[in-house]
Amino acid sequence: MNLALGVAGLVLGMIGALGGMTSQLVGLRGGRARILERAPGYAALCFLGAAVSFIAMERALLTNDTTVRYVADHGSSRTPFPFDVAALWSALEGSILLWSLILGGFTIAVALKFRRKLSDPLVGWAMVVMFIVCAFFFALMLGPASPFRSYNPAPGFDGPGPNVLLQNHVLMAFHPPMLYLGYVGFTVPFAFAIGALITGRLGEGWLIETRRWTLLAYGFLTAGIVLGAWWSYEVLGWGGYWAWDPVEIASFLPWLTASAFIHSVMMQERRGLLRVWNLSLLCATFSLTILGTFLTRSGVIESVHAFSESDIGAWLLSFFGVIVAVSVVLIGWRGDLLRSPGRIDSPLSREGAFLANNLVFSVFAFVCLLGVTFPLIVEAVRNDRISVGEPFFNRMTTPLGLALLFLMGVAPVLPWRRTNAETLRQRLWWPAWCAPGAVAVALAFGARGAEPLIAFALGGFAAGSALRQVGLATRRQGWRGFVGRANGGMIVHLGVIVIAVAIAASGSYQHQGEFSLAEGATARVAGHTLRYEGSRVVEAENRRELRARIRIDGGAVFEPRINQYLATGQEIGTPSVDVGFRRDIYLSLQRAASAENATIGLRVIVAPLVQWLWFGGAIMVLGTALSAFPGRRRRNPLDPVSQPVAETRDQPVPV
Amino acid sequence: MRRHRWAWAAMGIVLVGLVVFGARSTPDAGTSDDRLFALASQMRCMACAGESVSNSQAPLAIEMRGLIRQQMRSGKTDDEILTYFADRYGERVLLRPASSGLVSLVWIVPIVVAAAAVAGLGLAFARWRRMSETVAEVSEEDRDLVRRALAKRGGGPTR
Repeated sequence: MNLALGVAGLVLGMIGALGGMTSQLVGLRGGRARILERAPGYAALCFLGAAVSFIAMERALLTNDTTVRYVADHGSSRTPFPFDVAALWSALEGSILLWSLILGGFTIAVALKFRRKLSDPLVGWAMVVMFIVCAFFFALMLGPASPFRSYNPAPGFDGPGPNVLLQNHVLMAFHPPMLYLGYVGFTVPFAFAIGALITGRLGEGWLIETRRWTLLAYGFLTAGIVLGAWWSYEVLGWGGYWAWDPVEIASFLPWLTASAFIHSVMMQERRGLLRVWNLSLLCATFSLTILGTFLTRSGVIESVHAFSESDIGAWLLSFFGVIVAVSVVLIGWRGDLLRSPGRIDSPLSREGAFLANNLVFSVFAFVCLLGVTFPLIVEAVRNDRISVGEPFFNRMTTPLGLALLFLMGVAPVLPWRRTNAETLRQRLWWPAWCAPGAVAVALAFGARGAEPLIAFALGGFAAGSALRQVGLATRRQGWRGFVGRANGGMIVHLGVIVIAVAIAASGSYQHQGEFSLAEGATARVAGHTLRYEGSRVVEAENRRELRARIRIDGGAVFEPRINQYLATGQEIGTPSVDVGFRRDIYLSLQRAASAENATIGLRVIVAPLVQWLWFGGAIMVLGTALSAFPGRRRRNPLDPVSQPVAETRDQPVPV
Repeated sequence: MRRHRWAWAAMGIVLVGLVVFGARSTPDAGTSDDRLFALASQMRCMACAGESVSNSQAPLAIEMRGLIRQQMRSGKTDDEILTYFADRYGERVLLRPASSGLVSLVWIVPIVVAAAAVAGLGLAFARWRRMSETVAEVSEEDRDLVRRALAKRGGGPTR
């Protein structure tokens, strides 16, 4: 029943995607508006198909219908809520199903949002692209990554449940959907970029239309990445949140190019500059989401996320190749139309700072991409396996991160076009004093060492600039000083700064210890006393929890535990963290007490400011939402900004 | 103007002074386990899916951490310990790619790319600067046009 329903949904979706694509192409060819206006119907079919399949799969998982192969492999009657729901995205086929559902949702949302403009060829072509991407994902599920294969269970058969790592924390119910909303969301601006290229209407109109879609995707991607880091901290038991794992990098790459785009697009909207570059960034962002999916789902790269490997690698790689080829060819073909008339007058201007920002983001993305693929290259050339890991990425990206902090300090106060030293001195005076101020505060709290102090100084500087801008905007515009692109952007900057400070502090000042403790014994780490008070066993529905009771500094008791999952017999730890605004004490049980060995293995990590990461992530998401909110009316397009101004002394520099 | 310059210099001195002070005074001494995990984070756990010895809870990772501890007790330096593991498990155990041979490209290429990008940007600015030196004079007629357009919007060049 679920099986039939699921396959029917997929077929329905495929019909919607192919039908929509065909009808749009026919409509575009004949210039027939009536046909083009049917797009919402086909988009609804795509969404409906994906939704039917999704519901069928959830139903199968919740009722543990093991005639569905996927449920037999990844479900279990003993998996508690909400993990039985989240089991859908705990492996490859289900993840693709979730992806398709979100893609169907975006397709119908675009069709409805632009319902009055569907006869416009640009929107028509964008819909074609959306339908093609839909068709690709439905084809994946009807072909190599089918979630609805049948299975003939033996009587009394019960599945193993989702990968135990994914049953360990409730964040798993939120992190993948957020991430996918981000990934899939970039399909929309990409589709419009392709539409603009094909129709040759490369003015700024399509960019402004898709601005909020890009921000939406960006906000979700940010949230997804931060939630992933949080999950990693709460589950993996090593007291960290980011390990430069290939899957982490795969999610980070599109975030980097999207960050570059969100900045540089302002130059195009305002001055018509950098059209080729902006289109390339959009195409790169979308293709990187596909490349990331390929790298991590095809098994070519080892990753802690390897629970969703399969043989769809060739499909994804081909799709990636097609996207890149189409983008490159179209941009090359439209090259003449894309030449922007304007130019940048001075490096010391908002435009100059955006160019520097784009340079740093691009190099950042390049370093990440190179690091993650380099072992493959070496293996191909030399047939020799090497590793590129955390030490490489930390060393290479630290200067880039510091450069970004510096730019965040300077860029917001720079006027467009050009500036002079006096203006700059005046505007940067207080933000610049925030740098020694931040260092002084850090020193007072006992921070030492050159690298983190430089990070705090630059963070203070950047925060000073952002706060200056927010202050000026709110003084001028009241509450509207918090919304709109520039103002919301400053809030995002503040979130980034909080995260940067948290990364520098928690990375530089963490202390660890690994202990073997008998009952009643104590361990000391960074001035904290940890006493092992004894163990207890808790029987849960799907697992046994071996808990160690640890008293911290004679106060509260924390219970890091090892979970033994009954279905598979796998053991996995769940750390327990004494969270605080200033520092976390992270307890991870490595070995539970047993009959043979009464001692426990305990790992303790004391790290400052870790909680600031999630806080900073929340600020970033809030800022992204605020910048999508309509701010003050955009300046009149008639305003004379695109022609060079002669040097004038009697005019005040515009603020 | 002049005073301003002095004030900026003072700020720079304060900043550099604070950072130098913080960098020179000794940070609180790390535990020996801090060194252990710093070393462990530079090695791959060979039995895990792309995790470092520091991050993994797998039995092999815990065993390797025991080995590192042993090596540390026998007084070896960080480099000696890393070499020991590379000899034992192969070069692949090291998460920091080598800085010699073909592998060193992973360090060099990004720096070359970044340098080329900076140089390219510099050249572009130089070209734009040359172009802007040949800007056409704005005629009074144009200025009038702008003035009229602005007046029509009801306001001066505000934002």
